[in-house]
Amino acid sequence: MSYRSWVRVAWTTHLLFAAAATWPGQTLVNEPAPFVLGLPRPMAWIAAWLVASLIVLWRMDSARNRRDRAAAERASREGSLDG
Amino acid sequence: MDSFGMVTLVVFGYLATTLAVGLAAGRRASKTVQGYVAGDRDFGLLVMYFITGASVFSAFAFLGGPGWAYSRGAAAFYILSYGVLGMAPWYAVGPKAAALGRRFGFVTQAQLLTGRFPSRGLSALMAALTLAAFVPYVTIQIGGAGIVIETVTGGRVPFWAGGALAYGVVMTYVLVRGVSGVGWTNAFQGVFMLAIAWTLGLYLPAKLYGGVGPMFEEILSARPELLSIPGLDGDGAPWTWGAYSSAILVSAIGFTMLPHLFMKAFTARDDRTIRRTVVLFPTFQLFLVPVFLIGFAGVLFPESPPQSDMVLPFLVLRTELPALVVGLFCAGALSASMSTGDALLHAGASVVVEDGVQPFRRLSDRTRRTLIRVLVVGVGALAYVLALQEIDSLVSLLLASYGIVCQFMPAVLSAMYWRRATTAGVASGLVAGSAVAVFFFLQPDLKPLGIHEGILGLAVHLPVLLAVSLAGRAQDAEHAARYVDV
Repeated sequence: MSYRSWVRVAWTTHLLFAAAATWPGQTLVNEPAPFVLGLPRPMAWIAAWLVASLIVLWRMDSARNRRDRAAAERASREGSLDG
Repeated sequence: MDSFGMVTLVVFGYLATTLAVGLAAGRRASKTVQGYVAGDRDFGLLVMYFITGASVFSAFAFLGGPGWAYSRGAAAFYILSYGVLGMAPWYAVGPKAAALGRRFGFVTQAQLLTGRFPSRGLSALMAALTLAAFVPYVTIQIGGAGIVIETVTGGRVPFWAGGALAYGVVMTYVLVRGVSGVGWTNAFQGVFMLAIAWTLGLYLPAKLYGGVGPMFEEILSARPELLSIPGLDGDGAPWTWGAYSSAILVSAIGFTMLPHLFMKAFTARDDRTIRRTVVLFPTFQLFLVPVFLIGFAGVLFPESPPQSDMVLPFLVLRTELPALVVGLFCAGALSASMSTGDALLHAGASVVVEDGVQPFRRLSDRTRRTLIRVLVVGVGALAYVLALQEIDSLVSLLLASYGIVCQFMPAVLSAMYWRRATTAGVASGLVAGSAVAVFFFLQPDLKPLGIHEGILGLAVHLPVLLAVSLAGRAQDAEHAARYVDV
């Protein structure tokens, strides 16, 4: 996926995170049991969003670095042709 | 050696190491304001990561976090939610702020703002608001250090001496090395805090209840109200959804606008460093999970601490941990306090000189550096004196300051992204929003649905900013473009 697409995914993820962690989103996941990995579900729910955020930000950053590297290579190729 | 001797030894060893790291850092930084305040814009990923994480995780996270989980249950989860929400937009905003900093030589947030919207009044207003927000913040950190040292030494080192000792060390490296001292000690302290939090967070539930799951099973049957959001308020009554949700929003908005964090964009070596710091930030946020486990471990403990914020040192002392671990814990809590306090002292003093004094009276680079140092001592001494007084009222002052700090957001974003914004619009928005926030802070009963006064302030701030800007004459297009098109 391109960097631009990842930027859109990141915006969507964090807006959903904001909705899921506040009223009324959070009310959907508010029964403590059954526990997830020993944690009450509301707590596990927020922790899961943190992990999702980490993954999305990471992928977005990698896509950006790939794009920048490709651009740099193109520039140096063109530079050598000119030279 | 008795256990107090051991604890004291570990704590002193820790303080000495911190001092050594702080003084060793930045020996090569230039002797200029740029070097002292922005580290010559040469911080790499490791330092940036920890400077961000460790400045955020203060004595409030290390003592207040478990305290909240202990006394208010799921209400504490708001702290877990807001950090990443506040930090993620920084992926785009941070590098842009840094680019403007490089182009115009900014080292503070207000310089960026008044560069785009020239007004000495605006600059002085930002400096005054920053200082008003920071003094209670530093006070709480010093108080936290004093409490920890007094508790773990069983009162042999009194509160006043503990606070003075810890902040004597902080002052020394901030005075001598400036932001480089802050950065490298935060890296050291950050590692320390992470290790201590995870160790205790898993150890205490295991020791007291036989594991994290069994601990929550017991809490669920005895105190189920603690495990559902929005948890309880300070008096033990159910908290409201309005208060819980707006606490997340106001903190997320205010968070990156805290001057001591915002200014760190000007210290990064390159944009990639800033972006990576943002990407890795959720890992620091996850560190709150074990911190909360520590607080929950105290819920069904037969004895209760004198104040909820003391639950962590209280449990550490009551569970017969080896003295070495108690000492290390104490050092971890001091790290949390000191790594935030140093950044606050440094940023607060820099802001007052660069934004409060410099626009009115041109001073040489050398004089400014001297003046910043004088103010570090002044602000530290003021906060120390306040820390010896009543602490309770200061916590509420801090919350009020958050309401004001989040009013910086529309102003700063307008400076960087909105061509049509005008000086009059930004200034009147800032004044109106802050006034509303202060009003509802003083009249909490009038707040609709218990919504945080900072959000109510923004509800007035944004229309005022839009209306006054659009009613006035647009700024010179070329001038605006230098800030917006970066």
